[in-house]
Amino acid sequence: MSIEPITGRYVTIEVAGAARRIYFEEAGQGRPVLCLHTAGADTRQWRHLLNDAEITAANRLIAFDMPWHGKSLPPEGFETEEYLLTTEAYIETILTLIEGLGLDRPILAGCSMGGRIALQLAALHPEKFSGFIAIEASDFQPAWYDIDWFHRPDAHGGEMGAALVSANISPYAPSAERANTLWMFMQSGPGVFRGDLSFYTKDDSLIARLPQIDTDRTPVHIIVGAYDLTCTPEDAARTAKAIPGATLSVMDELGHFPMSEHPEGFRPFFVEALDKVANLDAVVA
Amino acid sequence: MAPSLHPANVWEAQVIENFKRIQATLATSPHLLQLGLLFSETVLIEVDGDEYYLSFDKGQIARIEEGPSRKTPWRFALRTDAEALDKFWQARPEPGFHDIFGLVKIGRGRIDGDILCLVKNLRFFKEVLGIPRAQEGVTA
Repeated sequence: MSIEPITGRYVTIEVAGAARRIYFEEAGQGRPVLCLHTAGADTRQWRHLLNDAEITAANRLIAFDMPWHGKSLPPEGFETEEYLLTTEAYIETILTLIEGLGLDRPILAGCSMGGRIALQLAALHPEKFSGFIAIEASDFQPAWYDIDWFHRPDAHGGEMGAALVSANISPYAPSAERANTLWMFMQSGPGVFRGDLSFYTKDDSLIARLPQIDTDRTPVHIIVGAYDLTCTPEDAARTAKAIPGATLSVMDELGHFPMSEHPEGFRPFFVEALDKVANLDAVVA
Repeated sequence: MAPSLHPANVWEAQVIENFKRIQATLATSPHLLQLGLLFSETVLIEVDGDEYYLSFDKGQIARIEEGPSRKTPWRFALRTDAEALDKFWQARPEPGFHDIFGLVKIGRGRIDGDILCLVKNLRFFKEVLGIPRAQEGVTA
């Protein structure tokens, strides 16, 4: 038997004038690192890093399920509304949660749509954070699929979502972790992946904001996998180039869900990212 | 009509051999047949202009036929080139060659027809098309 060091709790915050009961997990101590999951998934994507004793020895890793995802229920009345994530609601959720948990300038580590919003926060609310690790993150990509595929009464959105996103997983990923990664998409609530993708594929407001990111104050490190068809290395490089001082690492053998699909392969890149943020943070201090 | 499988060269023979391997593997893979239980359609695979029709019946491949054929209706088609398909079937394909939508994205493949039908059955179809890769000993 083994009991993991991860602990899970609930916190209720208010977003857009309504209560959101949010589930979060954490492990470790030291500098807070707030971890954001991808579209259509949940906090389980981060479980390997939260269980990494070397990383959590000096870092307090916190991951939470966005409302509508994982164990975070949708708000009351959700059944009569279309779920469409917006940049504004996403930002408000993160900032309110930081305040609710009393986190002091955490590092923000987000993947995919989490990486996109991390860059938005780097531009709009840098004072709330000490650095940004943007994974599989770019300025903007239009969808290469029809997002309405993911919410139809005549098809299983989870089956379709999992099958689609499998295109972004590296053939180097261990088969068990590939399957676990896809499982989260199969479990996503009806319309949730579509609602996330609406934000991810239609809101291009970040592009004009990239140059205003001040990496001297809040460092930005972008990580991208070569097998990511959605956010390609070219997309990430273009984005890094538009942010003065941003750094970039390309993972040759990983895809769009590195912390989940191939935890061992991703680990050194995440450690490198924490070091880069720490070093820059020290210089600024 | 009986299958008209007459490979003109070594590459065509390999493609047909891989389709037969897919057919045989499917027949003995209950988990894949469960995934494809509702899939009874004909799929066109076009490689360098050569056409192959895979006719599925409740997840099993009932027939493999070589085209061209104007009489064979198909639900959707994957069109690619021989080199791309060869790379797709490698144990660890290069980025882009690792997925059928990857082939499309890098300009080495095209998908035509009823794409919604493909997407509804995408988990099944990807597993099926990747069988020759899996049988080369890939565990990842």
